Amino acid sequence: MSLTNPPSSSGSLSRTRVGNLKRSLQATVDDAIESRRPGGYTSKVRVRDRYNIVGFISSGTYGRVYKAVGKNGKKGEFAIKKFKPDKEGETIQYTGLSQSAIREMALCTELSHANVVQLEEIILEDKCIFMVFEYTEHDLLQIIHHHTQPQRHAIPAPMVRCIMFQLLNGLLYLHTNWVLHRDLKPANILVTSSGAIRIGDLGLARLFYKPLNSLFSGDKVVVTIWYRAPELLMGSRHYTPAVDMWAIGCIFAELLSLRPIFKGEEAKMDSKKTVPFQRNQMMKIVEILGLPRKESWPGLASMPEYSQLQSLVLHRQPSHFHRGSNLEGWYQSCLKNGGYTSTSSAGTPGTDGFDLLSRMLEYDPIKRITAEQALEHPYFTNGGPISGNCFEGIEGKYPHRRVTQDDNDIRTGSLPGTKRSGLQDDSLMRASKRLKE
Amino acid sequence: MAANYWASSQRRHWLFSRERLADIREGLREKDKVAHSQFPLPDQRLLNIYFNQQLIKLGKRMSTRQQAIATAQVYLKRFYTKNEIRQTSPYLVLTTAFYLACKMEECPQHIRFVVSEARGLWPEFITPDVAKLGECEFALISELSSQLIVHHPYRTLSELQTDLSLTSDEVALAWSVINDHYLTDLPLLHPPHVIAIMAIIVAVVFKPPHPSTYAGTGQSALAGSMRDGGGMQMLAALSDKNGSGPPPKIQKLVSWLAESEVDIKAVIECTQELVSLYEVWEQYSEKNCKELLGRMVKSKNLDK
Repeated sequence: MSLTNPPSSSGSLSRTRVGNLKRSLQATVDDAIESRRPGGYTSKVRVRDRYNIVGFISSGTYGRVYKAVGKNGKKGEFAIKKFKPDKEGETIQYTGLSQSAIREMALCTELSHANVVQLEEIILEDKCIFMVFEYTEHDLLQIIHHHTQPQRHAIPAPMVRCIMFQLLNGLLYLHTNWVLHRDLKPANILVTSSGAIRIGDLGLARLFYKPLNSLFSGDKVVVTIWYRAPELLMGSRHYTPAVDMWAIGCIFAELLSLRPIFKGEEAKMDSKKTVPFQRNQMMKIVEILGLPRKESWPGLASMPEYSQLQSLVLHRQPSHFHRGSNLEGWYQSCLKNGGYTSTSSAGTPGTDGFDLLSRMLEYDPIKRITAEQALEHPYFTNGGPISGNCFEGIEGKYPHRRVTQDDNDIRTGSLPGTKRSGLQDDSLMRASKRLKE
Repeated sequence: MAANYWASSQRRHWLFSRERLADIREGLREKDKVAHSQFPLPDQRLLNIYFNQQLIKLGKRMSTRQQAIATAQVYLKRFYTKNEIRQTSPYLVLTTAFYLACKMEECPQHIRFVVSEARGLWPEFITPDVAKLGECEFALISELSSQLIVHHPYRTLSELQTDLSLTSDEVALAWSVINDHYLTDLPLLHPPHVIAIMAIIVAVVFKPPHPSTYAGTGQSALAGSMRDGGGMQMLAALSDKNGSGPPPKIQKLVSWLAESEVDIKAVIECTQELVSLYEVWEQYSEKNCKELLGRMVKSKNLDK
């Protein structure tokens, strides 16, 4: 069995220890398989008959992700997302599946696009759901991180352009199929070893065609705070595909600067589960884009948190409130720091890049550029064809995804940007779970 | 695709020809001939009426929307193309279909609430153990191959409302015809837009004189007029392209149909299916369905 871990993660482990741990990893899947009672539900397909679990990738509120290879004639590498049963105890009980698991299963089953993560199959076995996806070697968070090590070196401009193009292509597919992703961030943008971008993690995705309940009810908050659109921060109840476009704009900025553009601190929900105004996050946006204005964002005054925004103006130093947007200044210094010039090896996203970014980071969701419009923007139409491989012409390889043998290694919680907030959907089912975490 | 019917799992995996559907059911029957002779059940449509009424009862106490009920009905139909009803506890399956449909249609209900409501309605058949429902949910999702997004005709109806300048009465009647079609095999046989067009034609052609009577179901309002030579009236309307006879509304509908590429034959077939539903409805007896199902579940211990 070939392990693809970088030496840092598995090199220190002796061979026998790896063997033991590997067995224990397999056991995490097998252990769930307990004695069956006649007449109960049994899966026709068994995970362990089809896959060998070779390592542990990450964990989250939903459960864990493992790396696996196919067996019994099944070829290829896979990422298996195991949804954790609601209660983890001696005996696992069926307690009903969370709504987000149901959504992700139903949506992934229907979706099929080169820039959306490909589902292999879903296995429901012994009170657990196993969603089997294609394995992707990289993700944008990891690529951005790589470019800060050992010192910062910018992601080449053509690569950023290629990533953005594929990303928008996948998003256009989702939006034309009435799917809102609602949790776009670098960690959820997967990249295959051949440089194809796949939008992943549809755990918060929803259909937005005339929903029975407004998209707001049930899911009080969505999108990791740094990528959350201003209309959501302002308490909007009727949000739209534009929330995904804001997140895409934040990702674009982050690819260029290697830092989250609006790195705010999340205000926690109080005990009454009312969602507080995200003052700090709003401030981070205002610092770069200036204060949103009724004149340019007509819906602003009717937003639930409008009074909060006004109090922000009254109580703070007025320095950055009375000037307009400084996005261009931010962009120019970003180009300068990254060494993006037309003569440098990294190339430059140029003025077209700025124009596209500013249209994505437009305050008014109605005016914000759509995925379809963005794909026709001069940033993409000028300057030559775009490859389907974002690594094309890039020297030096990116490290492989870290796959550990330690099942208890819960690392993702501490990684920047992967913090998953807003799991307030399924609040009915998840209340007990959250207490544990 | 999530919202594109043409690429959907519904079109690819859950649309059958009449012959195929009959074969599937025959296959299920062949596997368990004994149970079939031991436990006769009413006509499938009568059972469907019964199940629908139970779902409505269950939904009413939780203020659920019609679309979730419709989705639950489709799940039931799909599930029973893969499983013999006599090997299941229909009350558990329908409660589970309801619970799952509520989550899919974005009006989730807590599992405990669903179980306690279901127990309130059918105390003999639903145990207080929520794990039973949870387990049945696994079986249901597995049999449905996780293909849980259902495309309903309601959407086509609301899209065509303006194009065909339908009155609110006509829309309401078409809506109730769509509600009724879930009592037949039509959701497994035809795409949602064909159903929606059938419902619109029926509503426009057979508009009953007293619009107030068709709340919920089209049965009481339409059964009579459709049966009494109604089919002929509709065929006449559809074939009379010169437009000398029928009123302008119907003329407009006919010319719209001619321009669209809708399968008219399929639409007419759907209408006939609806007429025969309204005919068989007259034999419906809630008591009879309840007794036959109860006897089956109890003697086979299916509720355990």
